[in-house]
Amino acid sequence: MNALGLFGAFGTLFAAGYGLLALLVCRSLRLSLTEQIAFSWLFGTGAVSLLLWVFGFLADGLLLQGIVSVVCISLGVVGWKLKTPLHICSKPRWFEVVLTAVITVEIAIVFYLSFVHTLGWDGLLNWEIKARYAFANGGVLPAAYFSDTGRAFSHPEYPLAVPFNELWLYLWLGESNQFCAKTIFPTFYVAGTFLVAAFTARLSRRTWLGLLMAALLFFVPQITVEVGCASAGYADFPLSAFYLAAAGCLFCASKQGNDVFFRLYAASLALLPWVKRDGLILWTVAAACGVFVILRTRKSPLSFFAFLPGIVIICGWRLYLTATHALQAVDFLPFNLETLRTHLNRALPLLSALVAEFCSLPTWSLFWFIVAVALLYALPRMRDPGVVVLLVALVAPIVLYLSLYLFSSWPNYLDHVGLSISRLLMQVAPIGFLLIVLAISRRPEKHPQRVQMPNRATCAIACSERTAVVELA
Amino acid sequence: MTSNWSCGRIAHLLLWCSLVVALLTVSIPKIYSGATEYPLRPGGALHTTDSYLKFATGAEGASKNLISMFDSMPVSKPIVIFIRKGDAFSSGLGMTTAYLASPHAVRLCEIDGTHPDNELSLINPDKVAGVVLCRLTRPAWLPAGKVFGSGLEIVSIGGKG
Repeated sequence: MNALGLFGAFGTLFAAGYGLLALLVCRSLRLSLTEQIAFSWLFGTGAVSLLLWVFGFLADGLLLQGIVSVVCISLGVVGWKLKTPLHICSKPRWFEVVLTAVITVEIAIVFYLSFVHTLGWDGLLNWEIKARYAFANGGVLPAAYFSDTGRAFSHPEYPLAVPFNELWLYLWLGESNQFCAKTIFPTFYVAGTFLVAAFTARLSRRTWLGLLMAALLFFVPQITVEVGCASAGYADFPLSAFYLAAAGCLFCASKQGNDVFFRLYAASLALLPWVKRDGLILWTVAAACGVFVILRTRKSPLSFFAFLPGIVIICGWRLYLTATHALQAVDFLPFNLETLRTHLNRALPLLSALVAEFCSLPTWSLFWFIVAVALLYALPRMRDPGVVVLLVALVAPIVLYLSLYLFSSWPNYLDHVGLSISRLLMQVAPIGFLLIVLAISRRPEKHPQRVQMPNRATCAIACSERTAVVELA
Repeated sequence: MTSNWSCGRIAHLLLWCSLVVALLTVSIPKIYSGATEYPLRPGGALHTTDSYLKFATGAEGASKNLISMFDSMPVSKPIVIFIRKGDAFSSGLGMTTAYLASPHAVRLCEIDGTHPDNELSLINPDKVAGVVLCRLTRPAWLPAGKVFGSGLEIVSIGGKG
């Protein structure tokens, strides 16, 4: 029974996501199977959680589930009719087959880990709690929950993407189930891994390099086994997958005329503030990068409408919180110049805490050291707007997150840092893989002919499938 | 072929190969120990809260019993949960209990020390469905409640209304 319920929930999630992907792509771009799966999952989770929230104003119980299911299936049918063209790879080489096998084993291990471990603390008391209470209330969060001081610890003000996907599972299972809820998180890991593989393959124009990067993602302990890892039920890894999708698509969209990737960027961008409150910062950074790309590549002014869905979600959620008299978080002091001035003395300890975190081998292994090397490689390539996008997408959130601790209201702000910095860094870690692959696959500009690999999917190829080797012109 | 393998290219290749090998060397032991730390356990609908409660109190499968106990209390009245300041176990127990106490409203009261006598004496029994003591000592004048493992006691103040 549980398996059937899970099948129904996952099927509708993927159907909705695939339909949205097909609508955004409009048959004008070939995507690999891994990209289609990853984007379908991300857009599906975003769409279902938003639909549950919006239709929750009108219906509850079976009717709510029915309405959302009908929308998902309809989107699936649209997707089927508009079928996104599949990018057919040439015959894989033996080491690509080996790397694919390694990634499969890694994904199996992440699924295993998610079943071995319980939901993490925040996974239960910040996220799953909302799904459980909404399920008990017919699929709608009780209004009283938002102003319940006794449950303020569960951050009622956090957005609902993760809990409402758990709720979607519960509606299909017919019960709230902490064990089954965990299946969502390794699926986000699969989406993240597929996106790393796809984007790095596009960036480097080498499939094996994409596969290698995807395989290496598993070897970052913070992502695999540390507190708040991808399988722990926290929203940080899902957020990192959305952020990777946004930044990767923007990199590809930075090539002139690549509008399909810009649409995919806009869709991923819109969902960032819906996944976690921190997503607002990532949204700001990714939107700033988007403005830069629009201006630099002289895209149509209509491109600025790409920011509208995200703004609607941000404002809609704020309005909802105001209307429900939701309790506000007390983790931060008021953001004003006076607080900044009086807390500037925290800057150096914060910086040293950040450096200590980067150097923490049990948490990050050598990941940040390798990213630092990759950054050095990227600096001379700053003329490429795509490289600027990736650099800013990696560095700006870290700087902003660190600045936030200047406003921490915790008695010992370094405790606040210690508890959250690794998870915040995880949100941008996959971008590091894109920079690493740029560094590994660097090519001297004086030998452009070496980059010619017309059989490989690249961002430039994606501009138009009718002129598949347009970048060679 | 030879011309493709310049010194710079070889150095580039060596650098990145050594970085990848170093990453794997540092990561594999950590990930192996993390992955093999716990055995696979049967999962239930309440398996996370059961694990938390077992860890904090030693009681097996306590979530279901807690939920039934809260269900027997009048929903219209709140549940007061007492936790100890500076005791992470106590506050963890309190939050887990608050999670399970839905749909009751809850009030989390943090107190200094281990004896909530003063705070309990201020409570109007007509306005509260139950009291939860997380790693705190129940005053002798308060009727005994149901004890879950060590450190968690739930006292029902009134029957289902």
